[in-house]
Amino acid sequence: MSWLFYSLFLIPLVVSGLILILPKKVNQALIIVTVSVLSAISLYLFSSTTQVVTLHVPDIVNQLIAGVDLLLLLYFGYVAIRHRHVLVGILSVLQLAGAIYVLTIAPHHSEAQFYIDRLSLLMFLLINIVSGIIAVFAIRYIDEENCSEYRKKFFLSVIMWFIGVMNMIVSADNLEYFFLFFELTTLASFLLIGFRKDEISVRNALTALWMNQIGGLAILGAIIYAIFTPEYQQLTFSGLLGNVGTAGLLLPFALLAVAALIKGAQMPFSGWLLGAMVAPTPVSALLHSSTMVKIAPFVILRISPAIKDTQVATVIMLLTAFVFLVAAISALSQDTFKRILAYSTISLLGLMCLLAAAGSETAITAALMLIIFHGISKCMLFLNAGIIEHVYHYKETSQMDRLGELGPFTALAVAIGFMSLLLPPFGGFIGKWFTIESIGSALPALKLTGAFIISAIAIGGAVMALLYFKVTGVLFARSGEQETIRFEQTHPLYRVSIYLLLFLVIGGMLALPVLLPQLFVPVASAITKLEIISEFRGGMLYINQLALPLIPMLIAFLVLPFTIIVSLFIHFRKVDRVKEYTCGEKVDYRFSSLYFSTDKAMPYYIVIGGIFFIALIFVGGML
Amino acid sequence: MNVTLIAVIFVVLAPVIGGLIYGIERKIKARMQQRIGPPILQPFYDFFKLAQKRTFIVHSTHAFLGVMHFVSLWFALAVLVFGGDFILVVYLHLLSTALLIIAGYSTRSVFSHLGSNRLAISALAYEPVLILIAVSLYMVTGSFNISSIATLEEPLLVKMPLAFVALLLVLPIKLKKSPFDVAEAHQEITGGAEIEYSGIFYEFLYTAKWLDYIFAYALVYLFVSSNIFLAITVLILTFLLVNAVDNSTARVDYKQMLKFTFWTALPAALINLLWVTL
Repeated sequence: MSWLFYSLFLIPLVVSGLILILPKKVNQALIIVTVSVLSAISLYLFSSTTQVVTLHVPDIVNQLIAGVDLLLLLYFGYVAIRHRHVLVGILSVLQLAGAIYVLTIAPHHSEAQFYIDRLSLLMFLLINIVSGIIAVFAIRYIDEENCSEYRKKFFLSVIMWFIGVMNMIVSADNLEYFFLFFELTTLASFLLIGFRKDEISVRNALTALWMNQIGGLAILGAIIYAIFTPEYQQLTFSGLLGNVGTAGLLLPFALLAVAALIKGAQMPFSGWLLGAMVAPTPVSALLHSSTMVKIAPFVILRISPAIKDTQVATVIMLLTAFVFLVAAISALSQDTFKRILAYSTISLLGLMCLLAAAGSETAITAALMLIIFHGISKCMLFLNAGIIEHVYHYKETSQMDRLGELGPFTALAVAIGFMSLLLPPFGGFIGKWFTIESIGSALPALKLTGAFIISAIAIGGAVMALLYFKVTGVLFARSGEQETIRFEQTHPLYRVSIYLLLFLVIGGMLALPVLLPQLFVPVASAITKLEIISEFRGGMLYINQLALPLIPMLIAFLVLPFTIIVSLFIHFRKVDRVKEYTCGEKVDYRFSSLYFSTDKAMPYYIVIGGIFFIALIFVGGML
Repeated sequence: MNVTLIAVIFVVLAPVIGGLIYGIERKIKARMQQRIGPPILQPFYDFFKLAQKRTFIVHSTHAFLGVMHFVSLWFALAVLVFGGDFILVVYLHLLSTALLIIAGYSTRSVFSHLGSNRLAISALAYEPVLILIAVSLYMVTGSFNISSIATLEEPLLVKMPLAFVALLLVLPIKLKKSPFDVAEAHQEITGGAEIEYSGIFYEFLYTAKWLDYIFAYALVYLFVSSNIFLAITVLILTFLLVNAVDNSTARVDYKQMLKFTFWTALPAALINLLWVTL
C-alpha cells in the first residue's frame, strides 16, 4: 500500500523532470496521463484507506532533506543578492542560521516521517484532482504565452513538482520535513509569480518570497522551542499533539498558526496573494484554489485539537473574522476581475481558518466543506478569468458587459461560479450557513468574542453578496433578444477543464445530502477524535445537535441553477419586443456599477492585522 | 393538522392578502393626507387592467428572471410561514432579491441599472440585521427554527426588544417606503429594476411586492406571536407607524440610508444579541 503514497509524492517530481527534456507534443500527453493517474490514486486511497498510515523513510532521506533544505535557503540568499533585496537577504540569513542550528541540535529518533490520516486523504483529493485540471488547462494557456519554448516547459514543470510538494506537505509529520515542504511551496510561488520576468512580476514575486519566509521562520521558531521543551519528545505533529494536556505550552502551536495564516494571506500578509495575479492565470488558479493557500486551513485543522478553547484559538478567530469582513469590504473598490477574486479568496480563507480554530465538530465539518467547495468554485472562476483574458481580452469587470453576448458559455460558467460561492443551494452557501449556525451555537461560551465574530460574518456575508451580484449582473447584460444561444467553441483543453469543474460544482451540490454524512463528517470526526452522529430524521439532516432542513434546501437546490440556466435559453413567443425605455432621451449607455473607495482604509487593516499577529505570538508565549 | 391547514391556506392566499394590505395602505395613507383615496380593492382593479395590456419585453432572459423572482419569494415566504430555519429564510429571500437584481442588470437600461445597484445596497443594509436577529433568536430558544418561538411562554418582544426596534428601523427598506425607498424612487429613477417590465410580466413583479408586504409583517408577527391580541395591536401599530413615516419623510440617498442602518439598526441588533448572550 505504502508505495501508492510514495507514488503520489514522487510521480509528479519525476514527471516534472521529464517535461524539461521531452518534446512538447509528448509533454501534453504525459501531463494528461499523469494527472489522471494521480487523481485515480488519490480517489482510490481515499476510498480504501481506513486507518492512519505512518510511513518511515530510511535515514538517507533525512540527510537528503537536510541537504535540499540548505541548498534551498542558499538559493533564497542568491535571489536576495541578485535582486538586491535587503529584506529577503536578512530573512534568508536568519532562516539559514536557524536551519543549521536545528540540524545540529535536533535529537534524532526513528519516528515516522509521514502521517496520513483522513484529513490528508481529503486534501489529496483536492490537490490532485483540482490541480490536475489546472495543469491540463495550463498546457494550452501557456502555449499562447509570449515566451521561449523552454520557459513554457519550465512553467509546466514547476506546476507538476508543486503538486508533488503539496502532496507531501499534507502528509508530513516530522516538523523539519514540514519546514522544507513549506519553503518549497514558497519557492514554487516565487518562481510562478515571477514567471513573466517584467518589473512588476519580479517585485510581486519578491513580496511573496519575503512574506512566506517569515512563515518559515515561525516554523523554525516552533521547532527550536519544541526542542528545548522537555515535554515534547518528538519533533512531529503527532508528538506535539500527543502532549497537549500535559505540557500546556502553546507557543509552538501559535507559531505554526502564524506560518499557516501567512500562507493563507491573512492581513497584514495579504499583499503576496493580491500580487500573484500578475502571473499567467493558471498560477492564480493554482495558488488560490487547491494548493498554497489551502495550507492555512489545513495546518489549523491539524493543530485544532491542541488550540481548541484556548486563547490562541480566540485570537485566531478574531483575526480571521476581521479579515473576512475587511477583505470583503476592500473588494468593493476593485474593478479588475482577478483582484475581486483574490480579495474574495482572502476573505473566505479567513472564514475557513475561523471555523478550523473554533474546533467544534460542526465547525470542522463546515471548514472541510468550504475548503473543498471553495477550491472547486474558485478554480473554475480563475480558469474562466484566464479564458476571458486570452480569448476576449477583458481584464476589468466594467468592460465585460458584452461577454453575455460574445461568450455565453463563459458568462454562464462564471455566473454559476459566483453563485456557488454565495447562495443556496451551492456548497459555499451551506458552508457559510454552517458557520453561522455552529458559531451561533458556540456563542454562550465565547461571549463578547462570539458576538463580534458573528456580526463580522453577518456583515461580511452581506458585503460579499453585494460584490458578487454586481459582477454577476455584468455577465447577464445583453441588448435585445437573441433568437438562439450558440455557445462559443473555445480550445478543447479549455472546454474539457471547464466542463469537469462545472460537473464538480453542480455534482457536488446535488450529491451534498450524500457527501455530507459520507465524506465530510467522517473526516471531521477523525480530526476531533470524537464520534459525530449524522442521520436523516423527518426531512432533516442532523449533525450532532445541528439540524439542517434538507427538504426546503433540496427545493432551493433546483431553483437557482434552474433559473440561471433556463433564463439563458428561454424564448417567449408571441410577445412583442421593445428597446429599453429611457424617458425618450437619447443616452449613450455604458454599464456602470457601484464602487466604493474602501481601499483607502487598507493601511489601517494592515496595522490592525499586524497587531493581531503579534497578539497571537504573545498569547501563545504567555500561556 | 389544523395549524398546518391554516398555514397552507395562508401561503396560497398570500398574494391576495398582500394585495388587500396594499389596498388598505393606500386608503390609510390617503386619509393621513386628508384625501379620500382609492377603493380598497384598487390594487386588484389595477391587476386586472394590467393583464389586458399588450405585453412588451426587452428580452426573454429579463422577463423570465422577473417571474422567478416572484416564485422564489413565494417559496421563501412559505418556509417562513411553516416555521423553517430563520437563516435559510433570510438567504432564500436574498436569493429572490438576487434574481431581481440580476434581471435589472440584464437590460441595457439606465434606470433599470440604477435600480439594481440600489437594490443591492438595500440588501446590504438590512440583511446583517436580519441575521443578527436570527442569532439572537437562537440564543433565546436554542434553535434557529422559527417554529421554536411557539415554545416560549412570553412573547419574543419581551426578550428581544432592541431586535424589534432594529427590525422596525429596516422595515421601510424592505417595504420600499420613504425615507428608504431609494431602490424604487419613482420620481427619480421611475421604479428602478421594474421599469422594463410590462403587461403580464409586470404582473409578477407587482404581486411580488404584495408578497414582500406579507413577508415583512410576518417578521414583525414573530415577535408577538404568543398572544393574539398583542399581535393584532402591534401589527396595526407597526403598519400605521410605517405609513406615517412614509408620509412625513423625504427620501434620503443610499449612502445616508446605509450609514443610518449601520449606526442605528445594526448596533441595536448587536446590543440585543449581547444582552441575550451574557
